[in-house]
Amino acid sequence: MEEGLVALAAALAIGLPALATGLAQSKIGAAGAGAVAEKPELSGIIIILIAIPETMVLLGFVTAYLLISG
Amino acid sequence: MIKRMLKVQMIGPKPILDDAIKALHAAAVVHIETMPEEELRKGDFLKKLPIESEKLKNKEALEKSLERLKALKSILPAPPGVRPERVSGGQIQRYLSDLAPIEERARFLRARKEALAEELSTAGRYEKLLRGFAPIVSRLGGLKNFEIVGLTLEKTREDIPGLLESEVARITDRSYQMFTREIEDGTLGIVLTYPKHFALEIKSLLTGRAISEVRLPDEYEDMTLIEALKVMGRRRAELPGLMHEIDRDLAAISAQWYGTIEGALRAVGNSLDEFGALSYAAATRFAFIIEGWVPAGRYSELKEKFSGLFGEKVLLRTLEINEHDREAVPVFIKNPSFIRPFEVFLAALSPPKYGSIDPTPFVAIFFPAFFGLIVADVGYGAIIFVLALFLRFRLREGGISKDIATVLAISAISAMVFGFLFGEMFGDLGERLGLLHPILLNRIESIKTLMYLTLGIGVGHVLLGITLSVASRLMRRDYKEALARACYLVLVVTLLSILAVLSGYASKGLLVYLAAILAVSFIAFVALEGMLGPIEFIEALGHIVSYVRIMAVGTASVVMALVANRIGGLSESLVAGVALAAVIHALNLVLSILSPSIQSMRLQYVEFFSKFYEGGGRRYRPFKSR
Repeated sequence: MEEGLVALAAALAIGLPALATGLAQSKIGAAGAGAVAEKPELSGIIIILIAIPETMVLLGFVTAYLLISG
Repeated sequence: MIKRMLKVQMIGPKPILDDAIKALHAAAVVHIETMPEEELRKGDFLKKLPIESEKLKNKEALEKSLERLKALKSILPAPPGVRPERVSGGQIQRYLSDLAPIEERARFLRARKEALAEELSTAGRYEKLLRGFAPIVSRLGGLKNFEIVGLTLEKTREDIPGLLESEVARITDRSYQMFTREIEDGTLGIVLTYPKHFALEIKSLLTGRAISEVRLPDEYEDMTLIEALKVMGRRRAELPGLMHEIDRDLAAISAQWYGTIEGALRAVGNSLDEFGALSYAAATRFAFIIEGWVPAGRYSELKEKFSGLFGEKVLLRTLEINEHDREAVPVFIKNPSFIRPFEVFLAALSPPKYGSIDPTPFVAIFFPAFFGLIVADVGYGAIIFVLALFLRFRLREGGISKDIATVLAISAISAMVFGFLFGEMFGDLGERLGLLHPILLNRIESIKTLMYLTLGIGVGHVLLGITLSVASRLMRRDYKEALARACYLVLVVTLLSILAVLSGYASKGLLVYLAAILAVSFIAFVALEGMLGPIEFIEALGHIVSYVRIMAVGTASVVMALVANRIGGLSESLVAGVALAAVIHALNLVLSILSPSIQSMRLQYVEFFSKFYEGGGRRYRPFKSR
């Protein structure tokens, strides 16, 4: 039972931030595409901005890993 | 690194101003600055240099020549690999008169080509229309005393032909013929024949808005519809050839004269720059004054050059840089040639402030290191290296793309080194073939170790960033800010030490001292930085964890390579297996170029630069030839 709950916790720890990251990236990506259409020189900065929310899923990944590895 | 700059002032007699400007232009080291308004307001004797009317006339003539040359250049196609001819300021007039007949010929050819293109498009438009009428008109060919009129009508007005026919019947007393057919989508074509003596009444009937008579272009006006159709068909066949001939003539002119035009354009641009430099100068009744910035290392060379040219007549001296000037000092970044390509990372940011730290040398170490740690595969690294070198040699001209290719090549070497240390070549293929074995660690089996390693890298990189911020503030003599950054550094180090103690890596006895240091540094940091301080502190901890991405993205890459090998191995046919594995490896390779570059770049910009980088500097732009 406990093992199952830990696994569920780990799944939530990485799953929810992954959804949040996807949501954030979709919004940044859409706005970024608009910005790049008008100013192509912003491409580099937009790629970086899209990568920023990934920290959330990384924190989730570390938490999940710590939960599973005990 | 950011080079030290000197503020220089040049004073000389007005009659040699033009020569002095030319010498400055040739020296190509002075970033000329406008004389500050407050200096000019200090006394009546110093004013902005008035520009003589003759010089203004020369300038206007040069501007006109520039426009002419630009227009000529835009007419001609650029031949590949052409080099601009060397043209000096004094030769401009001669070159312009040499180019005059070329300009005339090029303009004539362009006008001719435009006329032909226009004719081609007209012929295309009318041909479609006339083809629609042709079958009807040919039946009427023999009616010499009859007028034949072609009309077009929007298909939505289908009621009009009936009305038109009844009116024509009334006017001509039923001696007419009318044919209607659809000639293209949405357009009806009507051909009307009637005895010539009714022409006036019929024409006045046809002036309605919905009906338009097919009027032939001027050159076809005297022809019948059939003749016009034939001529148009012939012209449509021969026009592309004629236009191609003109293109060939223009290309021949370009091959001979493009370099000369480019050279003349540069010379005119340089002369205009010299006129522009006059607007920066100030003058007294007899002397001129020019101020600017010079890299400290180039000053003695400049002074020597000027004393050689003008002796005692021109005084060149350095001025003290006061507090007000510090914000205006232009930034000159110069790095050794092997680091220079990494300056491309600064292109997305405003230049660093003068007196702050140039991050290029650090990026040159950490970007390839992080990229290598993520990719860490001898095979992928080798392919990326070859691709980057190929790109680098294809791009003959220097520029951002060439710098990116160099950065990628250096990063690929790092990927090969780490691949060797982790025993990876196309995933586990190297190990399966007995070519490689993990020396440092196996990335799949040692995820935990790799996670700690990347966290350690994060701690080191973030602390280095904060240390650089302390150094940067000290260099700029901003002591209060330097103290705040030092508190920030102590705060982060202390917290990390407490975590180490709690994890059993150090003696528990240290905990009290560490807690005391933490409290003191936290209070000092908040006092110096305000309430944003604690947020920055928490952000730094988040930034350290962010380095786990090196392990996460790297593991994803190695797992995908393993999947490629496994799926390839499942196939019974050797060729199919190798092909399948190659496709998946190719996909992984593309991701291995994109993802590690983005992640490594992000770690530089967000986690590292945010600690110490101070943008808002002015780029050093020396007054030099184009």
